[in-house]
Order: sequence, then structure tokens, then C-alpha cells
Amino acid sequence: MTEQEIISSLENKFNFLKEKIKLQRARRLWVEVEMANFPEVLKYLRQSQNFYQLLTITGLDEREAFAVIYHLSDGTGLVLNLKTKISRETPVLKSVMDIYPPAEIYERELVDLLGIKVEGLPPGNSYPLPDGWPAGQYPLRKDWVGVSCLDEEKKNV
Amino acid sequence: MFEPDDVKIPIGPQHPALKEPESFLLTLRGEKITSASVKLGYNHRGIEKACEGRNYTQALYLIERVCGICSHSHSSAFIQAVEELAGLEVPKRARYLRTIVGELERVHSHLLWLGVAGHEVGFDTLLMYTWRDREIVMDLLARISGNRVNYAMNTLGGVRRDIGKELAGDILKALDTLEERTKYYAGIATSEPTLIDRLSKVGYLSPEDAVTLGAVGPTSRASGVDQDVRRDDPYAAYGELDFKVVTDNHCDVYGRTLVRVGELMEAYKIVRQALRELPDGPLTVKAPRRIPAGEVLSRYEAPRGEDVHYVRANGTENPERVKLRAPTLANLQAVSKMLEDRYLADLPIVVAAIDPCFSCTDRLITVTGDQEGTMNWEDLRRYSIDWYKNKGVDFSRMKIKL
Amino acid sequence: MGLVKKIVTWARIKSPWIIHFNTGACNACDIEIIAALTPRYDIERFGMILKGSPRHADVLVCSGPVTRQTECRLKNIYDQMAEPKFVLAVGTCACSGGVFHDCYSVKGGIDKAIPVSAYIPGCPASPKAIIDAVVKLLATLDKGG
Repeated sequence: MTEQEIISSLENKFNFLKEKIKLQRARRLWVEVEMANFPEVLKYLRQSQNFYQLLTITGLDEREAFAVIYHLSDGTGLVLNLKTKISRETPVLKSVMDIYPPAEIYERELVDLLGIKVEGLPPGNSYPLPDGWPAGQYPLRKDWVGVSCLDEEKKNV
Repeated sequence: MFEPDDVKIPIGPQHPALKEPESFLLTLRGEKITSASVKLGYNHRGIEKACEGRNYTQALYLIERVCGICSHSHSSAFIQAVEELAGLEVPKRARYLRTIVGELERVHSHLLWLGVAGHEVGFDTLLMYTWRDREIVMDLLARISGNRVNYAMNTLGGVRRDIGKELAGDILKALDTLEERTKYYAGIATSEPTLIDRLSKVGYLSPEDAVTLGAVGPTSRASGVDQDVRRDDPYAAYGELDFKVVTDNHCDVYGRTLVRVGELMEAYKIVRQALRELPDGPLTVKAPRRIPAGEVLSRYEAPRGEDVHYVRANGTENPERVKLRAPTLANLQAVSKMLEDRYLADLPIVVAAIDPCFSCTDRLITVTGDQEGTMNWEDLRRYSIDWYKNKGVDFSRMKIKL
Repeated sequence: MGLVKKIVTWARIKSPWIIHFNTGACNACDIEIIAALTPRYDIERFGMILKGSPRHADVLVCSGPVTRQTECRLKNIYDQMAEPKFVLAVGTCACSGGVFHDCYSVKGGIDKAIPVSAYIPGCPASPKAIIDAVVKLLATLDKGG
């Protein structure tokens, strides 16, 4: 499907997406949705628009909130970047492993590096921080500038 | 379902006295693996965060060192993103030069892999031969860039080094030699029963699983998945060059071997064409220090598969966010599946066949103790070689002639 | 030097056993270390043999910076080696932490965890530089070190 066809399908299916889909350049679409609408949009993209590959998930600290971007591919070279936002005070996401099994490792990164709680993740090894990493320290948060205990270790070593 | 006969074995780099988690946790029934889980993160250095505290030039230097095999891949994927954010049009000559270095990197990486695969199955002669040939490419890369690894070819807006007529001529001559050697390895791979036996039906990944589990690169192309970022989402000069995407239908380690050998042959063609058609012109365009706010998703077909970089700029000299997803991370999730219901003896080559960033396997080559139930990689490799020797697969009987 | 020590030293110079440990970096140095074993450089002509066990090794060849994840393991391997033992820090990261020195999981160069006998800078350190360091180290051994 062409970029335009995808945009049209999405706009027809979801009213709230009208005029909201950005065609950045050939093969690059960007869509932002509210968390309330996110699950059905994701399902639609997966089932009806053939976005069967999840390239990765990017989590960012935008200071007022956390943004989470799901980078989806339809195997033709086209990437649709689906963004949503969650509260910074109580950051919670639902796992999308049931739709995209590879999501597990990318969601674990969000847990370790941003302190986002991902519901539905099976028990398993955390990734990527080392064991013994002090709890409550989330390096990718903008207000994380190092941890005094880590700095102390560096000095003492 | 965990049965009383099942034995759990951790495989990893740790000393049993240190209660640390394992790299692979396998559940065995007899000699077969019933389940495998992988623990990652040993290589975590905090690069993404570090980029936020650096300007784009410093970040470029850092990102090139994410991986010492595909440094140009990471460097290019990143700089492409920044160039897109800055709205720069990279000169044609620069794009061709990036492509040439990128394909030479693919050549060195695949030859390296052939050697490592040989080593894993007990065919060390192959390691010595391929790594000897690989030195030809290392010499070329060192002549082009000044370094054997970490070429620092890229700068924001283009490339920093040129390839003159004399060097181009030498590259072409070297490619002839490499092509002849590669044909020889292809011959061994397709006609030597010992090697075929050893690699066939091992590490099976169905086409459906390859897609569902998100495998990339030669690992997925060997399961018939016809995807390659160079063709599907062209970057650098690939949109202007002719090349084949190599796929195979064996779905196993043998298939992955064939795909990589095929990609070597294609790489020689691509470099020849790029040198022949190398356009005149500047090497760079002027680039700003402050990059306008925006976000970009960049993709690159590294030797191991698709490398994904996300970059967000905020109008300053430093990136707001850099996110990298290297191909090995995508492929490691398929490895657990490949190991299920397979023999323990297959683990070394199955893991090696996704061509993991060498450090993943290297990390497993450290020492552990003699405690029952713990194994280190070297023990496992030897066990694997002996296991197959008992089945008649013995590389010491193979004669490889120059 | 006593006779036994002399024989042991001679044996060590003729055929030092090495063990390789990568603490966690990009692997470029690891590949150059292994390249040193391949025909172009052929470090084995100096009698160096890559061994798996620290108990039998004379030289610990380290690449990569010391990270939180690997510090204990590195110290443990070093402790298992019998004297006399030598440590080579291969590559800029192993020497000083290199480009990762200020990353949050990196502590610094190898000498933040264990004593280092020789520093081989380079990003990566080339096989020639590695061989050069090994030869110099062996020469120190020869002088009765």
C-alpha cells in the first residue's frame, strides 16, 4: 500500500486521526494517538494494514510526560511510527507482546531505563541494566544525572 | 512442562561461587534442550544516555564504537538521521563512498563470520583461511580511512576521506582475489559433505517464526524472508545501484551460510559498480552545529541485519534522544526458539549462526569452575565437536587445499 | 635466580599461556587479538597459546573497560591465576575507559580492578601493537622479572 492509501484507510477508520497523520517523507509516517485509542489503532495497523513487524520501541522523557513510540514496518520499506504519551508520575503501559512477541525485550528496556511499569510482561530477566543496579534509578530520565553511590564507587575504585 | 528428568543447566561466564545469573539457562532432557532462555545486558554501557551529553560530532564518534565489526553501519545510520533532521542533501560522491565502505565492511564481517563458524564446529582451518583473506579487506579499509576498524569516514553532511584513482584500482584488483577465494569457499560450502552435514537441519527457523519473532538480516533471509533495507528503504547510493537480495529456503544454519556467501559475491559487484560510476563532486556540504528540532527514524542494512536508529533533535548542539536497536538484539529473540527440542551439541553453532556481536559469544568464553551443572562456552564447544565426531562428522579428515 | 625458577621462566618465555577476557565493549580489540593468532600475524610463533583456564595461564589479556557487570568476574579470574602473572590491557578502553569512561555503567580502565603490566593503546589496538607488547613483556621476563 502507498503512504496515501494507508493515511486514507486510517482516517476513514478513525475520526480522531483526521489531519493528524504526518507524511514526513517517502516511507515515513508519524501518528500520535491518545493512550485511550492506542490499543485499537495498534490492532488495526497489525491486522488490517499489514504492519506485522515491530522494529523497536523508543521511550522518551519529554519532561511533562513520557512518550512511547512504536516503530512499525509492513515489510515493504515503509515505517509507521506510532506515538503515545503516558503520565510521568504514574507511568504504566500494557504490554503488546500478544500482538508483537518481540516487544518483550524493548518493553523491558522501558522498565529499566525509564521506570515505566509494563503490565503483562511475563516474569523474566530484566534488561539491560546490570544486577545490583540501585532501585529507583532510571538513567534515561532527564532528571537523572548520575547517582551519588555510583560516583562514590568510581572515586573509591 | 518441567519433568523430574529435566536438568537445568546454566551456560555462562560466571564462576559458580559467584551467584550471578547465567547467559543461557537451558532445560535439558537427556541430550536435548527442552527450553532455553537468554539473559542479555552484559554489554550495556549507557551509550544512549551518553549521547545526550555530547554534541552530534562527539556522539558520532561514540556511536561508531557501539560495535567493532559494524562500526560504519552504526555511524552511517546515525549520521543519516541527523542529516535528515538538518535537511541536508549529502553529495552524490559522498553517498557512493559511504556505500563502498559499507560493502567492504560487509565483506570483512562475513569473512570473519565464516571463520568463527568454522571454529565453532571444529574446522579451524577455515578460520585461518578466511581470516587470512579478510586481511586483504582490512588493508583496503586501512588505506581508505587510516584505521582497520572505526573508519571515521562520516561527518555531518558527507564523508571525510576520498578514494583516488590509484586506490580505486587497487581495490578492484583486491576484489578479484577476494572473489576467487569466496568462490572457493562457496564450493566447499555446497559440495563438502562434512560441512553440509554439520550445518544442515540445525538451528531451524520456519519462515513464519522468522517473521513473528522479528529476525533480521541473513538469519531471516535464510528462511526465505525477502527483506533487505538496501533495496526496500534505500539509503546512501543503494537506490542507484544494481544488486540482488540473497535469500535461501533451507531455514537452517546451512542456509545462513549460503546467504552470507551470496552476499559476499554481491558485495564485490556493488563495490565494482560504485567505483566505476563514482561521480565527481564535493565530499561534504556545509552543516550546522545546531540541529533543528524534529525526530527521524533511520535504517541501515548492517552485515548482521537491520540496524535501527531513532534520533530526536531539540534545536541545540546536543541530541535530545538517541535510540539504537542493533540487529543482534532482534535475532537473539529467535535463538531461544531455534534451540528448542534440539541437541545441546548444536548450541554453539546455532548461536554463532545469527552472527552475534562477537562479544555476546565471547562473554561466554570465560572461565567457570568444575561444579556439576555449570558449563562454560569452551567446554560446550568441545562437547559439541566430539558429539558430532561420534556421528561421523569429523573435520580433521577434511583436506582443504589452497 | 634459582635453577627451578630459571627453568620455569625459560618455559614461560618460550611458551606463555594466555587467557583472554573481554569486559564489555565493542569487540574490535577482541577481534584484533584473535587476528594476531591468524597467519598474517601469527602470534603463535612466539609460542603463545590461548588457554581456557586461568589456573594455567601466565598472561591475562584484557579488552574493554571495567564495567559494573564484569568487575567481580575480572578480579576473580585474576585471583585464580598463579604467580608470576601478567596483565595486558589491550585497547584504549582497557587502558583508561576510553570513549566510554564517563558512561554510567563503566568504571574505567582495567587498572581500576587489577594491576596492569602493559598498556596497549589504540582504537582498536592493532595486531602489530599487540605482538609488540607481548614481545616486550617477554623480554622483561627474560631479564629476570
